[in-house]
Amino acid sequence: MTNYGLVIDQERCIGCHACAVTCKQENNVGLGQYWNRVLTEGGDKMDTPAGTYPENGEDGTLEMSYQPTACQHCENAPCVKVCPVNATYTREDGIVEIDYDKCIGCRYCMAACPYNARVFNWDEPQTVPEDGTGDVPARPQGVVEKCTFCSHRVEEGLDPACVVNCPADARIFGDLDNEESTVSKYIKKYQTTRLLEDRGTDPKTYYIRGEMSPGRPQTSDKMESELDDVSVWSEPKDNGPVEESGGSGGGGSHSSLSNDALPHVPAFEGGDD
Amino acid sequence: MSDDRRGSKGGDGDGVFRRDVLKASGAAAVALGLGGGGYASSLAETATEPASRQNPGIESYVGQDEVIRTACAPNCRGKCPLEAHVRDGRVRKIEPQIPADERYKRACTLGLSHTQRIYNATRLKYPMKRVGWEPGSPNPEGRGEDAEFERVTWDEALDYIAGEMERVRDDYGPESVYFETGSGNNGVSGTIQSRLSSLFGGTQKSWSIDINVGLGFRRLAGAGFFNVPTNEVVDWRNANTVIVWGSDIFASNLQQDASKLLDAVENGAKLVCVDPVFTNTAAKADLWLPIKPGKDTLLTLSMIKTVLDDGTYDTEFLRKRTLGPALVRDDTGELLDASDVFDDVTEDLPVAVDESTGEPVALEPETYGEYALFGEYTVAGVACHTALSLLEEHVADYDADAVAAEVGINADNIRTAVRWLATRGPGGIASGYGVDRYKYGHTFGQAYAILLGLTGDFGRHGSIQGSHPLGGSYDNGGYDAPEDGPGTTSLAQTDILTAMESGDPYQLKVMYSQESNFIANQMPDRQRWLEASKSLDLIAVADMHHTPSVQHADIILPASHWFEREDVVDTWGGHPHIMYRQPAHDPLWESKSDHWMLVRLAERLGFGDYFNRDKSATLRELLAHDDEVDYETLKEQGTVKVSTPVVKFTGPFNTPSGRLELYDEDAPTEGGITLELPKHIESRTADDWDTAEDYPLMFIQKHSKWRIHSQYEYQNWLREINNEPQLDINPKDAAARGIEDGDYVRVHNDRGEMVVKAKVNDGMQPGLVNTDQGWWGSDYVRGHHNDLTHTDVCEVTGNFAFYDTRVEVEPAPSDVDTSKYTSNQPTGSGATSAGAGGD
Repeated sequence: MTNYGLVIDQERCIGCHACAVTCKQENNVGLGQYWNRVLTEGGDKMDTPAGTYPENGEDGTLEMSYQPTACQHCENAPCVKVCPVNATYTREDGIVEIDYDKCIGCRYCMAACPYNARVFNWDEPQTVPEDGTGDVPARPQGVVEKCTFCSHRVEEGLDPACVVNCPADARIFGDLDNEESTVSKYIKKYQTTRLLEDRGTDPKTYYIRGEMSPGRPQTSDKMESELDDVSVWSEPKDNGPVEESGGSGGGGSHSSLSNDALPHVPAFEGGDD
Repeated sequence: MSDDRRGSKGGDGDGVFRRDVLKASGAAAVALGLGGGGYASSLAETATEPASRQNPGIESYVGQDEVIRTACAPNCRGKCPLEAHVRDGRVRKIEPQIPADERYKRACTLGLSHTQRIYNATRLKYPMKRVGWEPGSPNPEGRGEDAEFERVTWDEALDYIAGEMERVRDDYGPESVYFETGSGNNGVSGTIQSRLSSLFGGTQKSWSIDINVGLGFRRLAGAGFFNVPTNEVVDWRNANTVIVWGSDIFASNLQQDASKLLDAVENGAKLVCVDPVFTNTAAKADLWLPIKPGKDTLLTLSMIKTVLDDGTYDTEFLRKRTLGPALVRDDTGELLDASDVFDDVTEDLPVAVDESTGEPVALEPETYGEYALFGEYTVAGVACHTALSLLEEHVADYDADAVAAEVGINADNIRTAVRWLATRGPGGIASGYGVDRYKYGHTFGQAYAILLGLTGDFGRHGSIQGSHPLGGSYDNGGYDAPEDGPGTTSLAQTDILTAMESGDPYQLKVMYSQESNFIANQMPDRQRWLEASKSLDLIAVADMHHTPSVQHADIILPASHWFEREDVVDTWGGHPHIMYRQPAHDPLWESKSDHWMLVRLAERLGFGDYFNRDKSATLRELLAHDDEVDYETLKEQGTVKVSTPVVKFTGPFNTPSGRLELYDEDAPTEGGITLELPKHIESRTADDWDTAEDYPLMFIQKHSKWRIHSQYEYQNWLREINNEPQLDINPKDAAARGIEDGDYVRVHNDRGEMVVKAKVNDGMQPGLVNTDQGWWGSDYVRGHHNDLTHTDVCEVTGNFAFYDTRVEVEPAPSDVDTSKYTSNQPTGSGATSAGAGGD
């Protein structure tokens, strides 16, 4: 069985909002509405840290990171349970989706969702340009909408738009039921958390924190399952020393510097010149 | 229409635009009745499945789009190859295009949003003439925010321009016509304009922006201008230490570089960030050095001392590739010349002492010897010290402990950063443009070139000297400067200003500006530029959008969007490709490509024989001289990878000695101070600057992820997130002035003011405030960030010092009208309708 999930490497996420904007474009989301938001973890406002500035050579306490947040496509989705008309449902492939024809706009699902992932079309959605963008029609006034994992793309073998268009390679989409998928491997290899796990929603969006992963560079817009070769990069055609040796991991910690000790020096990759 | 510009966004502006885009384009937009039929039919197909497994599906257009290859190139150096997905005659979305080297498949938030840029409310629709402007009677006082425009035909517009160019040529000489090309495109329009300027004998600018650090570096290493050439970014993963200095790569240079820098970190590199602001990049660094503004050279000198004290310098590199062992005469401060030492040497070569023999030897480039790196020697009767000894003496007082308080950084952290660089193998300093924007930033370029010379971080995999991989360029066979024209006169931007202002060095009378928003928005001390430009009899501006500079024009020329024109795009400063732009559809309204305009202007000026109305033919001609790229292949593939060295600074340095000139005997002076070795010189960042009491805060204008210079200001998707200009201010500075987060504040100095919303931000250094650059005048509640900046430049580079600016901040006056941002506009107040479209 296919069970789609998303891994977001917060060590790689640079808070650029490309995922948020490309989501709006691909899914024809109206002005003022977001299916996918990039939250700043730190200060109260976007792009501000928590802590105090290190004056006079002090070490300071500033910290900031980003948490892209959309529908978590929960295994045990509270929105599905509360919908009085079964407009919200879980697909066979694990994607939580809304039948907009059935939705009566009661917004129980919005109250039930602990991730604030859903938006309601109070008005007829407006877009710029007016006749819309992307590859799906706009939803009507009076319905709730949210991230679909770009199911219209997934059905065609394409990764979600936010995944394809992440300039930091921080988003990896794939089949959680397939042990060989990158999402499964990364969840096993790296320290991951899920949002509000204590709510018992069993979300299928995993966040890497701690050690940075190589991400999954997108050299195609196809889903991993459609590709023969899912190595990070194909071999450079010429003039590059870069060869894949699996990487040695290591760096990328946010922890402040605690000593002067010289850390492990990673092996050099590539030619000797 | 000026009311429209100032008015709040809301439905009216958009509504006008939307109706207009449909009406005027005459395209298939009417066919987009996106009703619910799709839902119903897909429901019917799945109605028999169990309720919990029902999959009514989302109606999808996937696979119905025609995919057009094009490219972004707004001077961010990302130069991302893009795909435009076209359906029913309209671009529906943008995705990255996979170029010949797939590692450069990238697009950022801005590039991905072009759908809104093409169909933007600020797009110019028709040629226009300012009401009140007539040939020979320019009425310059009528320019500006209140100017009104009337529609003219293309023939009329071009006739006006050609007529004025000919008139002022007769009266003032051809150089009085200024052909301005900004940085807003990177297709061939700049080349075409240069060709016309050269044939006409006009003036073009040379840059006075972002050349400070690069030119300082260049004195020693023979390369550098806009920043410094560095290894191609795909090689950065071989770096073990990356010091990002004065650059927020993850916000302002993320397009191609962010992923590569992350890959380096993932591969084990230590990331150090030197920045007074806790930026996106600082947040990801292993070590952040929160430097005080303007202290970069001082910090570098202390790092140099640490390396010398530790003895961790790269002896082999210093001996083989630098002037470190070169002897410097005690009497003159010049390099000892080999021709004064050896009878058989006539070349101008430096001299070193061979430690194994104690004998002097001539220093050839790229030649290793057991040269003494330190010491004093008397050779041919001349007392000398080695360059490295002079350097050692020069930095003697700059121990990390001694400078820590002044630079604001813990001495142990200074040492740790440079020890990583010196001892962890390949790495380097990825300088950005932050330091350039301080008056004497060039001394930092000089200083860190020396530091990288000590650590040997040149010419190997993993070396980083800056943020400018060379990118891809092509040989156009001198198309931009034909031999039989009088040629273009080049003036630095600082001279463009005085030429307009006082006729020094000569009077400018006509400006033809394309892809540039300089004159009314992007230049320091903006009011001075606006005042100076009153001496111009004609300002013609070609642009896609109704920018502040368009509002300041006499003749407005509507330019087509990049995706509406065929073009060839180089990747200067970025990745190694030449890219092709296939038009997604015809230009909207009456907009035309710059090529179209310039060719017809050239015809009117009598240079028609030098141009071809068929742009494809022009592109073919431009590429005909290049060995690697030809038009047909490029058109077919979308991109062609061109050969540029992955590793830079291999072989002899492009210097007189062929070596990295750690000691610069031909050094320039700055305020009487000679710069054989780098010196810490400050301007307004000095605590005792004479206006420090009145204006105690330093003011920078960071380059954000929401703009490339002033482009993308009008994008709704961006303005929804980043709504209005703000002032980043530390809570201590805010509290001391009675300012709370979200208050409107007045930022002012002796040149001007701006009123913006305060954003209390713990990531700002106390004493330093920031407003992201790129906002337009109409975005401010009052004033403009460039009403605060100045045109005081250093002697050596003449580079504008935008960040070397002092201000004071106070609560905004109670009568200030903030309604454009405080009234209820749930969809964001950005991207007001421009209203110059003739409707």
